[in-house]
Amino acid sequence: MQVEKFYYDNKIVKAFGLATVIFGIVGMLAGLWAAIQIYYPAISLNFPPTTFGRIRPLHTNAIIFAFVGNASFAGIYYSLQRLCKARLFSDKLSWIHFWGWQAIIASAAITLLLGITTGKEYAELEWPIDIAITLIWVVFGINMFGTILKRRERHLYVAIWFYIATWVTVALLHIVNSIEIPVSFLKSYSWYAGVQDALVQWWYGHNAVAFFLTTPVLGLMYYFLPKASGRPVYSYRLSIIHFWALIFIYIWAGPHHLLYTSLPDWAQSLGTVFSIMLIAPSWGGMLNGLFTLRGAWDKVREDPVLKFMVVAITCYGMSTLEGPILSLKSVNFISHFTDWTIAHVHIGGLGWNGFLAFAILYYMIPRMWGTQLYSKKLATNHFWLGTIGIILYAVPMYWAGFEQASMWKQFTPEGQLKFQFLETVTNIVPMYVARSIGGLLYLTGALMMVYNLYRTMVAGKFIPDEAAEAPALVKEAHKKEYWHRVIERKPVTMLVLSLILVSIGGLVQMIPTFLVKENIPTITSVKPYTPLELQGRDIYIREGCYTCHSQMVRPFRDEVARYGEYSKAGEFVYDHPFQWGSKRTGPDLARIGGKYPDSWHYTHMYDPRLTQQLSIMPRYVWIIRNNLDTTSTPAKIRAMKTLGVPYPDGYDQVANRDLMHQADSIAANLKKDKIETAPTKEIVALIAYLQRVGRDIKLEPKPLAENK
Amino acid sequence: MLLHMRTKNKYILGLLTALTLPALQPVWAAGPPAPSVFSNPLALTFIILMTLLLVIIGILANILIGAADVKLRKRKKAGKQATLASVITVLLLLAAPVLYAQDPAATDAVKSGPATIAGMSSSTFYIMATVLFLELFIIIALLINIKFLLRTEKEKIAAETETPEERANKLSWWDRFNSLRPVTEEASLDLGHDYDGIRELNNRLPPWWLYGFYACIIFAGIYLWRFHVSHTGPSSKQEYERSVASAELKIQEYLKQKGDAVDETNVTILKEDADIAAGKAVFLKSCAACHTETGGGNIGPNLTDDYWIHGNDIKIMFKTIRYGINAMPSWQSQYSNKQIAQVASYIKVKLHGTNPPNPKAPQGTLMKEEAAPAAPAAPAADSAAQTKKVAMN
Repeated sequence: MQVEKFYYDNKIVKAFGLATVIFGIVGMLAGLWAAIQIYYPAISLNFPPTTFGRIRPLHTNAIIFAFVGNASFAGIYYSLQRLCKARLFSDKLSWIHFWGWQAIIASAAITLLLGITTGKEYAELEWPIDIAITLIWVVFGINMFGTILKRRERHLYVAIWFYIATWVTVALLHIVNSIEIPVSFLKSYSWYAGVQDALVQWWYGHNAVAFFLTTPVLGLMYYFLPKASGRPVYSYRLSIIHFWALIFIYIWAGPHHLLYTSLPDWAQSLGTVFSIMLIAPSWGGMLNGLFTLRGAWDKVREDPVLKFMVVAITCYGMSTLEGPILSLKSVNFISHFTDWTIAHVHIGGLGWNGFLAFAILYYMIPRMWGTQLYSKKLATNHFWLGTIGIILYAVPMYWAGFEQASMWKQFTPEGQLKFQFLETVTNIVPMYVARSIGGLLYLTGALMMVYNLYRTMVAGKFIPDEAAEAPALVKEAHKKEYWHRVIERKPVTMLVLSLILVSIGGLVQMIPTFLVKENIPTITSVKPYTPLELQGRDIYIREGCYTCHSQMVRPFRDEVARYGEYSKAGEFVYDHPFQWGSKRTGPDLARIGGKYPDSWHYTHMYDPRLTQQLSIMPRYVWIIRNNLDTTSTPAKIRAMKTLGVPYPDGYDQVANRDLMHQADSIAANLKKDKIETAPTKEIVALIAYLQRVGRDIKLEPKPLAENK
Repeated sequence: MLLHMRTKNKYILGLLTALTLPALQPVWAAGPPAPSVFSNPLALTFIILMTLLLVIIGILANILIGAADVKLRKRKKAGKQATLASVITVLLLLAAPVLYAQDPAATDAVKSGPATIAGMSSSTFYIMATVLFLELFIIIALLINIKFLLRTEKEKIAAETETPEERANKLSWWDRFNSLRPVTEEASLDLGHDYDGIRELNNRLPPWWLYGFYACIIFAGIYLWRFHVSHTGPSSKQEYERSVASAELKIQEYLKQKGDAVDETNVTILKEDADIAAGKAVFLKSCAACHTETGGGNIGPNLTDDYWIHGNDIKIMFKTIRYGINAMPSWQSQYSNKQIAQVASYIKVKLHGTNPPNPKAPQGTLMKEEAAPAAPAAPAADSAAQTKKVAMN
C-alpha cells in the first residue's frame, strides 16, 4: 500500500483562531456594556449606536456568529483535516470563507450600530448581508465536502456527522427565516407576518442554538476531548443514537419559546413534548463526553484544557436539562420574559460555548506553534476566574427572574396588582449589578487567556504546513458491515438523511399554521397601519425596542390586569415582522395604544426619568430631533402590498399626503399640552405607532354571548 | 481501645459536647419553660428524641475518636500532631452548623408570632425540629467519618490479600448504575476504529439513560393525549378563565368579611388626616407625572382651578380615576377603591383651590364647588364593559 505524504493547513486555523479571540473579547465587552446600561442608563452616552437597543443585538450577534462561529470554523478545519487524513479541499475557498465571514461580521457590526436591522432576534442582519451569509456558507460547505470526498479514511468519525448536520441545517434555517422583501438597499420586511413570523423566527432562533451553538461544538468535543485526554470515546452506540435523535427532535422544539402566546395551542404542545424528549439525546452527548474521561480524572486535575472541557460539558448537561424544564407550561409561566431566561442562555453561552472555545484554543495553539502552553498556572487561574464569573452571573439572574415573576403576579386581597411594573424592576437592580461583576470576571479571565496565548505564540514557531502521511484510499470490494458503518462511508447519504430528518419537524408545524385558517381567526376590526404608523414602527424596530419590551399579553390574570385584554392571533396579521419580543426589561406594549396622552410619550422619549423617576430606559433625544424620511413611504407601501397588506391600488402615491395629515393632527395635539414640535419629526411617527398598537381589537363589535 | 483513651481525646469529647450544647440553648431561651410545653405529648417526644440522639452522638463520637486514636498510633512517626489537628478541625466543622443554627431558629421565632403548631408555640416547634434535624445531620456526618476511618483499615487488609487485577475489576455502585465495565476489560469493547488516534469503545447505553428516554417519549404521548385528544388538561384560555374566576371568588369573600365596599355609588370625600396623607402619597407616585406635584397640570389638566373636563363631583372623579377616560389611564388594577377614594379626596381637599406656579390653562367647563355635577362624558364602550366586570366586586 502506497503511503502518501501531505500537509495539514494550519494557517487557516490560525486565522480563525485569532478571529475567535478578537471577536470573543469584542462580544463580551458589548455584553458588559449592555449589562451596565441596565442599572446605569447614562452609559448609553445618549448616542444612538451605543444605546442598549443596538448594543444588545451587537452582543448576541458577535458572540454567536463571530466568537462561537469563528471558534467552530477553527476547530472544524483543524479536526476535519486530521480526521480525513487530508489537507483542506481548496486553500482558495478556505480564504474566501475566512475573509467573507469576517467581512460579514464587520458589516453586521456597522449596520447593527446604525440601527439597520430586520427586528428578528438573532437574524437581525439585513438582506444583502443575508445573501452574503448564504454564499459564504456554500463556500464553507464545498470546502468541507471537498475535503471529506478526498479523504484517506474510509469512515466518517462522529465529529464529522455533527459537522454535516450543522452545515445542512443552518443553511435550511437561514434561508427559510430570511425570506424578506427588500424595500431599499438596507431595509426589508419579513415575508411572514404575526403568528407565522413568530413560528418561523423561533423555529430558526431555537435551532440556531441547536445547530450553530450545539452540534458543531459537540463535534469539536468529540475530537478534542479524546485527543486531550488520550482516552477512547466511551460508546459508539451512544454516539449513533444520540446524534440521530438529537437532530431529529431538536428541530421540533422551537414553539417552546412561544408558550402562552397567540400561537395555536397544538403547536405549543408540540414544542413542549419534543423539548422533554430532547433531554436524553442531549444528555447522550454529555455522557459520552464525561464517561470518556473515565480513567483519566487524574489528568483533569493537571490539565487546564480538560478542566475547561469538563465544566463546559457539565454546563451543557445543565442547560439541556433546564431547557426542557423551562418548556413545561407551569415553569414557563414563571420564567418567561424574566431574567431566568437570561441566566439559562448564559449557562450555555459562557459555560458550554465559551469554555469549550477556550479549551480548543489552549489545545490547538501550542501544537500549531510547536511548543508548550506558556503558563498552565495562568490558564488554571483563567479557569477558576471564569467559573466564578459564570456563577456570579447566573445566580443573581435566577434570583432576579424568580423574584420579578413573583412580584408581577402578586395581588392585594382586594384584587389590585400589588406592585407597579417599575417597582419590580428597581427591586432587582442590585442583581443586575452583581451579574455585571460576574461578566467582568469572565472577561478578565478571557484577557488572561489572550496574554497566555500571545506568550505561547512568541515562544514557539508557527508551523504553517504540518506534515502528515497516510495510505491512499483504495476501492474496496463490498464487505458486510454494521448498517451504520455503511452510512459512515457515504457522506452524501448522510447529508441527505440529515436534511430529511431536520425538515420533518418544521414542515409539520409550519404547513398547518400557514394553511389552516382556524389557527389565526380573523378579527375584522384589525386594519393595516397608516403610512405614518408604519414609519413609526420602523423607528421602533430600528431602535431595538423589542430587546426590552414585549408585545404579547399572555392569558394570565396579572397580565390582563396590568396591560389589558390578552393578545389574539388575529391582531398581528399585518405585523411584518412580528415584535413580540422575548424579554420584559420594560413593560409589555401590546396594549400601549391610547393608554397615555401623546405628550406623555413625547416627554418619556425625551427623558424617561421625567415621567418615571426611577426608570432605567435610555433617552431617545435624537428621535425628537431627527426629521422623518418620508421619501421611503411609497416603497414601503408597495412592499407591504406585495406581502398582501390590503392598501388600495395606487395608495403608495398618495400615502405621504395621509402621513402629513396625521402628523399635523398629532403635532396639534402636542401643542395643546404646551409641546411645540414640527410634524415632520420622527417622534411624531413613533407616537402615531405607539398610540395604534393593540387598539384595533377594541373596535370589534362584541359577540352576543358577552353582552348578556 | 476505649479504655486506653488519652486525656487529649477526652478533651475533644468534652469540646464536642460543649459545642453541641448551644444548640439546646434556644429551647431554653425561647421563653419561660412554661409547664404547658412539658405537658404536650409531642413536645415530650421531641425532648426524649433530642436526648436520645444526643446520647447516640456521644457514643458515635467516642467510637470516632477511638478509631482516630488507632490510626493516630499507627502513624506515630508521620505527623501525629497534624492528624490530631485534623480531627479537631473535623469536629469543629461538624459543630459549626450548630452554632449557626441559632440564627435561623431565632428568625423563625420572630416570624411565626403567636401561631401554634400541634399545641405548642410555633417557635418552640421549629426550634425543636431544627435541633432534631441538626442532630441527625451530625450523626450522619459522624457515621461518614467513622466509615472513612474504618475503610482505610479495610482497604489495607484488602490490599494484602487482593491482586491488583481484582481491585481494578471491582465495580462501584456508580459503575453498576451506569452499566460500566471494568477498565481492564476495555480491550474487549474496543471497536478497532482509529481516527487520528481516537479509538472508540462500544459500551452499553447506561440503563437509566435509555429508560429515561423511553419515559420521556411516553410522557410526550400522554401529554398530547391529555391536552389535545381527551381534553382533560385545560387550554391556555381555560386556564386563564379558571384563574380569574377563582380569584374573583376569593376577592368577594375577602371584601364581604372586611365590610369594605366603597365604590362610585357610595364614595364620599374623606377628611381624615390619614386618608389625605395616603392620598397624597398615591398622587405623588402615580399622578404627578402628568398633573405635576402641585396639581397645576402639564400633560394632564390642571386640578387646582375650577374647570373640570369630566366633572368635579367626588363620585365622578372616583370613576374617572378608577376606569380612566380618553387620555386618563385606568388605575383600578393598581389601586384599591379605598386608595382611589383617598387620592380623589386629596385632590378635592388639598389641591383644589390652590394657586400653583405655572399652571396649565383651564380645560373643560367652569364648575363651582357645591354646584350640581354636570353630566359626565359618555363612557367609552370599553369602560362600560369594565364597569360591568367590576360591579361584581
